[in-house]
Amino acid sequence: MPSTSLLRWQTDRMPRLAEVEAQCAASLVLVPPQPNLVEENLRGNVLLLSSHYQGFCRDLYTECAQIVVSKVRPALRLLILEQFIAHRRLDHGNPNLQNLKADYERFGFTLDLPAADPLNPARLTNLDLLNKWRNVAAHHGTIPAGIPLSLPALQGWRNSCDGLSTSLDAIMYNELRQILKRAPWVP
Amino acid sequence: MAEKKDAILFKVGDRVKIRYYRGGPGRIVELRGPLAPGGKMVYRVLVRRKPRPVYNELTDEFLELIPADS
Repeated sequence: MPSTSLLRWQTDRMPRLAEVEAQCAASLVLVPPQPNLVEENLRGNVLLLSSHYQGFCRDLYTECAQIVVSKVRPALRLLILEQFIAHRRLDHGNPNLQNLKADYERFGFTLDLPAADPLNPARLTNLDLLNKWRNVAAHHGTIPAGIPLSLPALQGWRNSCDGLSTSLDAIMYNELRQILKRAPWVP
Repeated sequence: MAEKKDAILFKVGDRVKIRYYRGGPGRIVELRGPLAPGGKMVYRVLVRRKPRPVYNELTDEFLELIPADS
């Protein structure tokens, strides 16, 4: 029962990321080898993956807020929407667990992503690694010790983002269903 | 022809009057996508307000285009 945001993640964002990964893979087998190009491609891919995941999280938040406020009269809708949007961490911050909790818990529940799926703790570890590398790539910072940047690592991080997206979508579906007493989006 | 649910009625940069809002006009700064119920397009709107500007994310029912020459 995906939301519009998850559908976009699955049918637009993930295929775009796969295309960039294919470009990375092609640069890995160039003859003669071009290690600088490989590294720049991988760094670019890190930024894109983080930004697309942040985009999904922000989209789902907006979608849920719009669903909630659609149940009140228009004059109040404006006011409540402004409160939902004000100081939203996902507008500027990385899509890490801390920012996800800060934003999504405005819906009045405790966001427990690790408990939502047995695979989520490992996925969240990967998300943390992705965000560390995202900051290195964006700010040309110091390369984190013990976290190699490679195509298999990136593919693992993308799969983790995919799993977390599905998990977050399911959590919000269930939470909004309880709040609204009806399914928040049409299956 | 029936209007598409996610029809884009405003573009980035458009100045808009916001219904039910007693402050000044806003400006469309982002098309957020068809994220409102029924697949309606959501627009991110910047409103100049003191001490700092604020953002909102609204559907077209709240927005009225201010012609560029006004």
